[in-house]
Amino acid sequence: MKAHRKLLGVITRGSLLDGIEMKLAAEIDVEDVKAGKFVVISGRQNLFFCMITDVRLDASNPEILLNPPGHDDMLMRQVLAGTSTYVTVSLRPMLTLPVAEQHERRDPLPVKTIPPHFAEVYEAEEQDVNRIFGSEAMGKQYFNIGQPLDMETPVCLNLARFVERSNGIFGKTGTGKTFLTRVVLAGLIKQRAAVNFVFDMHNEYGWDSRREDGSFVRGLRQIFGNQVAIFTLDPLSSRRRGVSADYEVYVPYSEITVEDISPLQDELRLNNTAVEAAYLVAARYKDKWLEVLLAQDDIKAFAEEVGAHPESLSALYRKLKRVESFPFVVKSNQASDAIDRIMDCLRRGIHVVLEFGQQNSMLCYLLVANIITRRIHELYVQQTEKYLATRDKGDEPRQLVITIEEAHKFLNPTAAKQTIFGVIAREMRKYYVSLLVVDQRPSGIEDEVLSQLGTRITALLNDEKDIQAVLTGVSNTAGLRGVLASLDSKQQALVIGHAVPMPVVVKTRTYDEEFFRAMGALPQAEKQKKLQQDMISLFGEEQLP
Amino acid sequence: MSRLHLAEVVESSTSEFLAQCRELHVVPPFGSLVKVPGPITAFALVYDVATRSIEPNRRATAFGMTPEELAEEQPQIFELLRTEIKAFLIGYEATGRVLQILPPEPPRIHSFVYACSRDEIKAFSAKTDFLRSLFNNSRVPVDELIIAAVRLAAEAHDHPGQYLVQAGKELAKLLRDDYDRLHSLMRRIAL
Repeated sequence: MKAHRKLLGVITRGSLLDGIEMKLAAEIDVEDVKAGKFVVISGRQNLFFCMITDVRLDASNPEILLNPPGHDDMLMRQVLAGTSTYVTVSLRPMLTLPVAEQHERRDPLPVKTIPPHFAEVYEAEEQDVNRIFGSEAMGKQYFNIGQPLDMETPVCLNLARFVERSNGIFGKTGTGKTFLTRVVLAGLIKQRAAVNFVFDMHNEYGWDSRREDGSFVRGLRQIFGNQVAIFTLDPLSSRRRGVSADYEVYVPYSEITVEDISPLQDELRLNNTAVEAAYLVAARYKDKWLEVLLAQDDIKAFAEEVGAHPESLSALYRKLKRVESFPFVVKSNQASDAIDRIMDCLRRGIHVVLEFGQQNSMLCYLLVANIITRRIHELYVQQTEKYLATRDKGDEPRQLVITIEEAHKFLNPTAAKQTIFGVIAREMRKYYVSLLVVDQRPSGIEDEVLSQLGTRITALLNDEKDIQAVLTGVSNTAGLRGVLASLDSKQQALVIGHAVPMPVVVKTRTYDEEFFRAMGALPQAEKQKKLQQDMISLFGEEQLP
Repeated sequence: MSRLHLAEVVESSTSEFLAQCRELHVVPPFGSLVKVPGPITAFALVYDVATRSIEPNRRATAFGMTPEELAEEQPQIFELLRTEIKAFLIGYEATGRVLQILPPEPPRIHSFVYACSRDEIKAFSAKTDFLRSLFNNSRVPVDELIIAAVRLAAEAHDHPGQYLVQAGKELAKLLRDDYDRLHSLMRRIAL
């Protein structure tokens, strides 16, 4: 280990299971030691890459704590610091690398042993971070999402691994989930790791959106231009906000199946018998079932006709009447090709943001997301089967990432069994589809789904249940719990899982002009200038007005 | 040795020596570092200063005069007194290195004792291991000696404050179980 590194302390005790303890060097200020910081232990044979999980004040003699030195007794305080009163720092070793191979390009290994007594602990440096997380220079799959605490080196997500699994972005409201999601989506688009489909419930991803301080930031469409298509369910709202949506989405009744309705039991307050009645109607009228049902005047007679219980059927009728009021639900004969267009975009690798405009009631969101995702699911299963048959690279489906907000509505223990999202979270990895789950209440998501999430990017969470939920399916979580609860409320996140070799706390990348530029977008003024230049080079100078 | 010696060793043992001062009442301060050159240069801390009659069986008598009157009227009595110092051996210098351990042999009788210069004090006290050898010693007033020695050593250093902290940390290790004693030592050292 090089001498110029900053020595933080020495290892005094530890175990593989419970983590390692370091006595902080007397000259290091305890306030500089933050949970989540990334440090390196220099063992005899191995380097151990660790994360600080806890910091504790200790005293060798309880007398000192009973009679602490006075506030003006600086000498005594200085004398005691590091000798009789000292700081113990808990470290969680995450990865290891043989010292002999530290300059070779090898991937770090999981930790199977611990460093000896008095091994020295150093602050991690740029090369360590690059070594572990890779850097954007090392390949297209790496995408910078931020910096470790107190460091300037970028931490990279391995996007190739990221899209292999379903992932989650969690955090209390106001902790920057949406900005974080935008950064990740921008990364996926920029590095072409996957094609994205975003259910944009609050109209935040496609076009301009507002920061908490009132200023505006660009949406994905403005950064990536025609690589991103905006679909809208509410053209009026889009126009009012000055968004030029590419397509308007209408859902014909024929597209709505009983499977789309049954997950809405909670929202519609439907009971089971009502859903059974719906199946009976669907059995007779096939894809016209909803249209026929809603057109009935005499429910009793209709109930007799289909053989359903009249009370259940009339409950179903009353509740589904709400669906009729949605402006985007249209009669089957006014067939709309919006869903096919979405599929077409995805097939061509164009990223789709579906805006809900004013139609952002939970009912509407759930219904539409279900219908569209079910179609995507069918399409991808077919495509994958085709690819398996032909084994032609050209038939291989593009990896698709579906972003859903308020994910607990789709993935709660009851809904996850019924909605298509539960299926995708569990097994669609095989069919090239994964989810990006954005949620503020991870404890509401079914355990089985949570445990299958590959990468979790978690901003501050306070609720014990939520913290527990986020760490479901992560081994050795004892130290991470404290780290999660001590994150800053802005721009800080803990990244755990498949796309990063070890858990790390990052100060997330700022979603600003610099970021837009890095993503390849030009600022407005430069854009104008480039347009001007392009016109000159196309038409010559004289022709211009 | 250009400077005049302070005293001359008259009794010597492995851990301490007794020396008679060249002049009456001209003594190194309590807790100060002295050296005894010889085949090896021994360093010691002065822990006891005594002035008494030359004759072991006779004691000086009170005259009821001021020192000036006494010097004028009874000058001979000063010839009958001597000042002695006792010093505790804490290290030595061999082949250019200063070691804070007992010298392999005690200073020889009739060797001269010199006060250490500021640079010598600084060089010797750069390490604070010598504080440990002062403990576990029943003959010397340990706490008082440590206070005096640390204060004098700190004065010789360029950054006395820093030196006090360094020495204090050494004491804190030695007095791990006795916080009250440490506190009292440090309070008095900082005065």
